Amino acid sequence: MAAARNAANPIRKAVPKEFDMLRLGSKPEGMREMDLDDIFLSRLQLLVIMAKAYLSQYPLGLYRERSILENVAFVKTDAEGLAEDIERFGYDESIPSGLTFEPVFYQRVKLLTVMAEAFAKGHSLEDHKQEALEQNIDAICEAITFSKKISEMQFLQVA
Amino acid sequence: MKQSPSVKKSVRCSSCRSREVVIIANVKIAVIDEDIVVRDFIVSALMYSVNRDVMAFDDGFDAWVHFEESGFPDMIVADVNLQEIDGLTLLDKVKQASPKTIFILFSDSPENEVLARKQGADAFIAKPFGVNELFNLVQTFVVEGGMSEDRPAMP
Repeated sequence: MAAARNAANPIRKAVPKEFDMLRLGSKPEGMREMDLDDIFLSRLQLLVIMAKAYLSQYPLGLYRERSILENVAFVKTDAEGLAEDIERFGYDESIPSGLTFEPVFYQRVKLLTVMAEAFAKGHSLEDHKQEALEQNIDAICEAITFSKKISEMQFLQVA
Repeated sequence: MKQSPSVKKSVRCSSCRSREVVIIANVKIAVIDEDIVVRDFIVSALMYSVNRDVMAFDDGFDAWVHFEESGFPDMIVADVNLQEIDGLTLLDKVKQASPKTIFILFSDSPENEVLARKQGADAFIAKPFGVNELFNLVQTFVVEGGMSEDRPAMP
């Protein structure tokens, strides 16, 4: 049934023939419901992409601006909540996974939301602010990519 | 029941370094999921990708009624677990009424992947997923799959 439908569907033309259905996402053994931590990290990743696209001078549009502002609102609220949790319960760096980032990480995320809100509302960022945005993105990416700081990984310093 | 038009045109980009960018006019995308947090994330990512409004529904029945009345979108992204009309049933109904509509299912259950393939889904996204999977959908079906013209020239 699927093959017959695909043959009549011109939009399918770019999908390689060996794929009768494109499969994306987690491996079968890792499949589970998405929780708020998944959504926070995914939205933060989206915000980083939005900021990188701005720095690359990719065009904005009405719905892109709307999407950035919606994303900013979610990430900001969540980052504030998570930062408050750390203030209330303390920061436990022994927890290896989850959203146990250092408190300064959430400050950096909040700064990113402020900057993203500014460019989504049409305020152009001057050169030094763009540089600060870039540095902030780098620091956030390092925090969500590595469990340790990249400078602490000595094996990466040799080849 | 009418199919929405996907008008395409290319314009020169004044703000970026590309010689030409592709404008995807009137591409219609619908997202259906009961979980508002997941649904809003998908809507944000897709809306940003295509710079067009994205329809959102929290159950299959409301979505189906809307499609029958207002026309079928170019692409539907739906959870398998939906009230009234589940994602697999909706896939079957949509493909019968509008075969050109791209239908993407997502789920946290491997069993649903088998069913989605059997019933002719164009793509399946296994939860948890992130923004890259959603960008991959846009690249595969909207940019490369016929909803837009030539790919933009590299700077």
